[in-house]
Amino acid sequence: MTPSEWRDKLFQIKDAFLKDIGGVSPENLDALEIRYLGRKGELSILLRELKDFPIEERKSLGQDGNSIKTEMESLLAGKKSSLSPIKTQAASGGKTGIDVTLPGYPFLKGSIHPISFTVNKLAEVFMRLGFTIADGPHIEDDYHNFEALNIPQCHPSRDAQDTFYLAMKDSQANNLLLRTHTSPVQIRTMMKHKPPLRIISPGRVFRRDALDASHSFVFHQIEGFYVDRNVGMADLKWTMEAFIKELFGSDTRLRFRPSYFPFVEPGAEVDMTCVFCRGRGNRSAAVPNEKCPVCKGSGWLEMLGAGVIHPNVLKACSMDPVQWSGFAFGAGIERFAMLLFEIRDMRIFYENDLRILKQL
Amino acid sequence: MKILYSWLMDFVGAELEAEDAIRKLQKIGFKVEEAKKTGASFKGVVTGRILKIDRHPNADRLSLVEVDTGKNVFKVVCGAGNIAVGQKVPFAAEGAVLTTGMLKKAKIRGVESAGMICSGQELGVEEKSDGIMTLPEDTPLGIDALDLFPKQDWLMEFEILPNQAYCLSHMALAREICSFYGLPFKKPSPAFPDGACADFPINIEKPMSCPRYTGIALRNLRFAPTPQWMVDRLRFMGINPKNNILIDVSNYVLFELGQPTHCFDLDLLKGPAINVRSAGKGERIKTLDGEDLELSEKFLVIADTERPVALAGVIGGVETAVSESTKNILIESAYFNPLNIRKTSKETGIKTESSYRFERGTDPEITAAAGLRIVELIKQSVPQARIEAVIDNYPLKYRPAVIEVEPMKIKTILGADISDNDMLKSLRAVDLQEEPSEPWKLTVPSFRHDIENIWDVAEETGRFIGYDVIPAETGMKLMRVSPEPFFEISLKLKTELAGCGFSEVYNYDFVSNKDLKNCMLDEKTCIDVLNPVSSDYRYMRPSLMSGLLKALRYNLNRGQESVFIFEIGKIYLKENGSYSEEAFCAGVAHGVFPAEHFWRQGLNEEADFYHVKGIVMRIFETVGDLKFASGGNGFFAPEFCAEIADENSRIGRLGKIKDSIVSANDIKAKDVWYFEIPLKALIKDSHPGLSAGGGKVKPVSVFPRIWRDLSVVVGMEHKWLDVQKAVQGVHPVRNPPCPKGTAAAPPMAGLISNGAYLEKAELIDLYRGKNIPEGMKSLTIRLTFSSMERTLTDAEVDGYISNILDKLAGKFSARLRT
Ligand SMILES: [Zn+2]
Repeated sequence: MTPSEWRDKLFQIKDAFLKDIGGVSPENLDALEIRYLGRKGELSILLRELKDFPIEERKSLGQDGNSIKTEMESLLAGKKSSLSPIKTQAASGGKTGIDVTLPGYPFLKGSIHPISFTVNKLAEVFMRLGFTIADGPHIEDDYHNFEALNIPQCHPSRDAQDTFYLAMKDSQANNLLLRTHTSPVQIRTMMKHKPPLRIISPGRVFRRDALDASHSFVFHQIEGFYVDRNVGMADLKWTMEAFIKELFGSDTRLRFRPSYFPFVEPGAEVDMTCVFCRGRGNRSAAVPNEKCPVCKGSGWLEMLGAGVIHPNVLKACSMDPVQWSGFAFGAGIERFAMLLFEIRDMRIFYENDLRILKQL
Repeated sequence: MKILYSWLMDFVGAELEAEDAIRKLQKIGFKVEEAKKTGASFKGVVTGRILKIDRHPNADRLSLVEVDTGKNVFKVVCGAGNIAVGQKVPFAAEGAVLTTGMLKKAKIRGVESAGMICSGQELGVEEKSDGIMTLPEDTPLGIDALDLFPKQDWLMEFEILPNQAYCLSHMALAREICSFYGLPFKKPSPAFPDGACADFPINIEKPMSCPRYTGIALRNLRFAPTPQWMVDRLRFMGINPKNNILIDVSNYVLFELGQPTHCFDLDLLKGPAINVRSAGKGERIKTLDGEDLELSEKFLVIADTERPVALAGVIGGVETAVSESTKNILIESAYFNPLNIRKTSKETGIKTESSYRFERGTDPEITAAAGLRIVELIKQSVPQARIEAVIDNYPLKYRPAVIEVEPMKIKTILGADISDNDMLKSLRAVDLQEEPSEPWKLTVPSFRHDIENIWDVAEETGRFIGYDVIPAETGMKLMRVSPEPFFEISLKLKTELAGCGFSEVYNYDFVSNKDLKNCMLDEKTCIDVLNPVSSDYRYMRPSLMSGLLKALRYNLNRGQESVFIFEIGKIYLKENGSYSEEAFCAGVAHGVFPAEHFWRQGLNEEADFYHVKGIVMRIFETVGDLKFASGGNGFFAPEFCAEIADENSRIGRLGKIKDSIVSANDIKAKDVWYFEIPLKALIKDSHPGLSAGGGKVKPVSVFPRIWRDLSVVVGMEHKWLDVQKAVQGVHPVRNPPCPKGTAAAPPMAGLISNGAYLEKAELIDLYRGKNIPEGMKSLTIRLTFSSMERTLTDAEVDGYISNILDKLAGKFSARLRT
């Protein structure tokens, strides 16, 4: 194409455009715009061909092209405002400007389940403390779920653990069950890897509890442990404080009480000051006699079970309890989620009501 | 376990407020579930008699009452309806302290009242009262009304952890407080009677199952009711007293000392003799709770010379039970092997306060003391009772365990710098007697069978010094955190899917038979739960579909019109006797994108196959190259389903769930889209859970691209993917095929050089209908060419395109759309 051919073409396009825009109907306005000014439009294609001309030619032709383009655009805009009342007057302007209070176009919004959210949050805190995540199976055997954790066959604490058993055996003819806690991951990890180990394992656990506001037969726990030389209660206390304060604020206080779990010795229950009343025990300073509904007036919330790993557990994993020591802790994730999101009924987690889930 | 404060204090030789005792017990690891005040605690209330009742001049419902307290007569205003002249009543004068607070002089409707006649509620002895409290006719006038009611006390409810079994009594808990807080402990030491030397045959078949059996024959008894104080205490323990001292005393001693005992009617014991032995096959026993049990060798029984008379440590037999006519008894106080009792209790399903304690281990050293305590208490009600024989058969003497302790190890376990002195103090407190040696040798007392090793000792030290003394400090070194692929991939998928408008749901891992049927799943592939909570949760889920459909139904029924949900969870399958559990990601889409209602009509669309495919591609593309091919299986409408595959195999599927499945699940909607893919397929060794291509970035050209749109008409049967592949397969350096017989010189030779390439071939329009023949479709393909080395010319691109056209013509009989 020579420069003059190009210029002829330009004016042809302009003429055609002027002819078309005269009788255009509102519904065809967009099509008209696309035909001439869209990316594949006649004018756009022509302008792109400028690049094949030498630089001087390109300059002068380009000026013509752009002025015609501007002219076409303003003609089109004028036509639009006269023809398309809803779109232009309400939204795109006119003399009054656009209505900036109209809602923006919706973009899809989904949500992450509160338990997942909580797990991620806990994992994040622990990963910053150098804990690596480990995973374990839901279907377990008696050895990993009980025996190796110092819960022998006749131990009374097995009464308390109402276990789901499966109508199947594994290849070694062991009875299969659904894990009642995340602690088997301790065993599996310690059997496979050598210390030092710093592990957390969040996951689903199963107990034959009746469903109510604070019980479910499916729920979630997070397990954590650290095995190295000379690890003791002081390390546990430090870790728990770092974790809880990171999650609930640095003014949260912790309390350790002696307690019992078969797989730790000494064992402790870890309480923290109530997140709702900040440990006061009452609903508000203004009504000192009304008990705080979250901690039932005590000012404390039970959050975790913990302790120094029992020597029998280390032995079950072929570790010498004189050489190695460690701490372990476990907590219900629902409990954290309920506090973080002020959810009062555990059943909400499995109802899957989008009106609730979408709030997250 | 219930503990009464006053009973506890029977064993504490020092003042200790109830609240303080609770605090102290909590601190050393006892869990107080409830602590409530009981009994009366009012002040300044005396007994009086109503002398006279007049109408209140200004109020119909009120009366003017004169009350005589023996010394004075008071005029009071009273609103109760149940008053009558002559009644004995509790009267509170000005200054009295009631549950409502301190009583002040008051004018009621213009008349001065000098006190008040009290209701049980105001005195704090009844939960709720209807009118005033009336006292028995024979109540003396003017005495302190406090003497008429049980004294103020505290009833505490403790949760006893499995390792605290040595604390299952008032005495033991008191011992625990005393030793930890250095208070004097009043150890019960009933006197051993003189002259009780008669013999009584007690035979123990296997000392392992019954290391000690103390029997006391007590004669010259008669019926006596249980004293009121004992009745009160037993009631607080939740026991319904039988009001026969011979029956109630065993329970009393159980709660007091933690030692279960049993009283036989001596005259009903054949022999009389006691044989502790295994039951014979076919033997039977009628127990006190009315069961008739057939026994076997598994059971340990107490027998006389003829038959079993008790299930050892669990429950007595009815045939030798004491009654109102009992004259002589044999008191049993024994130590049984916990395993035997546990077995019997489990086998028979009989659980008693007695079996509860025996199976957790009792104190072998306390049997005689407990038996004598029984005697002591019976004698208080039946003074003429006479001990005939005290037989202590103790074949397997308790040998205390000795634990070697290195103080350094305890310091390590606790992480606290405790002085040796403090440590020794803590150990003496728990009665762990230390022998002077290096390392320390600790002797475990008979009631602390839970202490076995240095870790247990460390716990005692920790309890003694208090966990709050242990510093929160660590010498933990930095550790590298390695990623866990399933966690990482789940997190990524959740974030991405939420970004695409999907909400994450959580379902139970259990499904019912009906759930399986409704989704056309076969229960033969499912793992059964042996003891499900109900038949609704009988199987382990073999797919996430059923739960997602339930969640869909739940939300549709609650007015949601569009539901986009997903779940990441495990499914469980069995096959040929082996099982598997596998993590899946699955989702359901139904409704309108991006939103049901908004002010620009026409920008929202009903979700269809390509929406779901688009989402699946966007989410999973980042973790690997996925391919989609027609297929799928029975869950989907055959025309709207696809299999998802990676380089190696089919891994997932997506499509429209069959209408029959949708309606079987009680879902009114149509067009329910589903996808699922196992997480395993998304985890690559090379880049676990990372972006596609391992996070490598390709350079882009600095030269302009050239693009051309090409509209070709092909048969409907040709898939886009095949067309695209064909287009991409045309290589720029290859010359177009030369028609036969023409010159060999290729028209574009020399123009197409290395470096030019087809960057993209995108489908930008798909058209059927006017101007396109039946059975054909028009595909508009945008071809983008570029070169890393130079600006391409139109001519070479044209040549390239003609190559492409030739290829499409050859392969699909495609022709240019005109
Ligand atoms: Zn609170």
